[in-house]
Amino acid sequence: MERGLADMPNGEIREKIMVDEAKIDKIIDKYVGQRGVLIQLLLDMQREFNWIPREAIKRINEKLKIPESEVYRVASFYTALSLEPRGKYLVRVCKGTACYVRGAERIVTAAERAIGVKAGETTSDFKFTLQTVNCLGCCALGPVVEINGKYYGLLTPKALNEIISHLRGE
Amino acid sequence: MGEETEVTLTIDGVEVKARRGASLLEVAKQLGIEIPTLCYHSALTPFGACRLCSVEIMDTRGRKRIVTSCNYPAEEGLVVNTKSESVINVRRKILELLLARCPKAIRIKNLASMYGIKETNLWVEDESEDCILCGLCTRVCSEIIGVSAINFANRGVKRVITTPYNEFSEDCIGCGACATICPTGSRRVRTYTYATLRPLTGPKRDEHIGVYSEIFSAKSPIAGQDGGVVTYLLISGLKKGLFNKVVVVQRIEGYLSDAVIASNVEDIMKASGTKYVRAKIVPKLKELINGGERKIAVVGTPCQARAARRIQQVMQQDHPDLDITIIGLFCYEAFDYGKLKSEVKRLLGVDLDSVEKTQIRRGVFTAIVKGREYSCRVRELENAIEKGCVYCNDFPAYYADVSVGSVGSEDGFSTVVVRTEKGKKLLEEAELTMREARIEEVVRLSALKKERAKKNFAPILKGIYEVRLAGRESGEGTGGYA
Repeated sequence: MERGLADMPNGEIREKIMVDEAKIDKIIDKYVGQRGVLIQLLLDMQREFNWIPREAIKRINEKLKIPESEVYRVASFYTALSLEPRGKYLVRVCKGTACYVRGAERIVTAAERAIGVKAGETTSDFKFTLQTVNCLGCCALGPVVEINGKYYGLLTPKALNEIISHLRGE
Repeated sequence: MGEETEVTLTIDGVEVKARRGASLLEVAKQLGIEIPTLCYHSALTPFGACRLCSVEIMDTRGRKRIVTSCNYPAEEGLVVNTKSESVINVRRKILELLLARCPKAIRIKNLASMYGIKETNLWVEDESEDCILCGLCTRVCSEIIGVSAINFANRGVKRVITTPYNEFSEDCIGCGACATICPTGSRRVRTYTYATLRPLTGPKRDEHIGVYSEIFSAKSPIAGQDGGVVTYLLISGLKKGLFNKVVVVQRIEGYLSDAVIASNVEDIMKASGTKYVRAKIVPKLKELINGGERKIAVVGTPCQARAARRIQQVMQQDHPDLDITIIGLFCYEAFDYGKLKSEVKRLLGVDLDSVEKTQIRRGVFTAIVKGREYSCRVRELENAIEKGCVYCNDFPAYYADVSVGSVGSEDGFSTVVVRTEKGKKLLEEAELTMREARIEEVVRLSALKKERAKKNFAPILKGIYEVRLAGRESGEGTGGYA
């Protein structure tokens, strides 16, 4: 039986996913000849592919003459950019102090169980990526979970389960 | 304002004139005032990472604050104190933090004891940590060598110095500048670069030729550049079963070349002929090893031979059966494809992509187009040289199993240096026409390349020497600031 993507370490997933190279080139071409555009360019990549493919770093190096190590430095620095493929829904569970004392740990466990992956991982169907973050800035609503820009406050594990199964059904 | 190029400021009570924009550290140095540093190097852009060079400044309005002297510019009327109580306190705290990060780094221990800190009370996360993230290695790699093989990655507590994806570098040329410049002698830069290698062992050892058992001039039965020796060795090695796959550099489009995997005689023949441009062989080598191939040959320049040797030495720990045969090519310098194309057009009036063959002999670069030869001095192509090559001191590919090159042989022949047992096996029963090589020519070029690297490395070494000297003097003289 072929292994599912969920069984693979992240590095292997990266190798398995085919990326449309023409799309990469099209995004880079918009920025050829300009300076100080790396972050904008990488954000465009992130928007297009939902992650920064390895091939993209290579092509940026070839076309814009920015060293690969420099592109990698920037891509690995910002949390808005991901070097691993992300799922359609980015589930971010807040583990900041306020959320933590209000039971964020239980929310994380519930999310891991509901989604079926550990924090930091992505499901094999690329529907969900589960992350923990340090503060979402709305401590009064803790424990808080943010999913694709939408905030869910005062959560219980049960409410979270409902949200996840609703999204899965979509 | 802004027009005067000279400003007057006071450092430790001494009034001094300085160039506007010069760093406080530079000015203090000229006055003989010693300020401790870790991430500063006179040949590189200041970074302000280690904070050790902190000094107290008072501006014309009487406001005091602490700044890093390595990247704070001299201003008119500035009053600088490099030894005030608060400066010493700041440095002490920094050293305590540094000591907690790298408890075993000698330079940090010495600096700390100069400031009266014997041990740290802070939490030590990793006893073996030896990198303070000062960025000297990344700066020397990008600013001086021009390669940028290593850089920072991630952020916060996860920040590290590494190569992209923590894998063997595709850009590193093994010059070792990163390891040389590191203030703590960190091992981190050596993991995925080719800065250090276990040396080869062999019967003879020459400073300029390297380890070897035999050196001679040879011509093979097949037609090829300078006697077709490399092509012949690859084909016979393949037939003898010494390896199943070969990583070679082949012209892909015009003169633009890339590394390809060859597994039969036709593939190898396609790749024959010298290309004076550098291609990335590491990805291909990794592709083969990850795909389960264990008997591989690699043909490449000295830097590529280093890379292949390092990969072999490291990956053999996981794959004891990994067997890489390395054929190194003599190399004085490699060219950048784009720059070479424009220089050849400018000097010779021909399109590099249309040339059938290129060759360098006795300082003359020759391009052959439709049977016609176009030549110029290699020296005239100076602008097309890859920046890092002038820092490389390896002409005869010291880390290869067999090195081959035209230097030391007459036209139609190549000089062959057999270095290892594996190299010997490759040459067994080889039907080569052999002659004596003019070893002195190889030695001469090798020495020239070494000399050039030494000259170019001088500013890097000078910066390190300055720091060591300053550290020692203050250590013995005043007994520190404890």
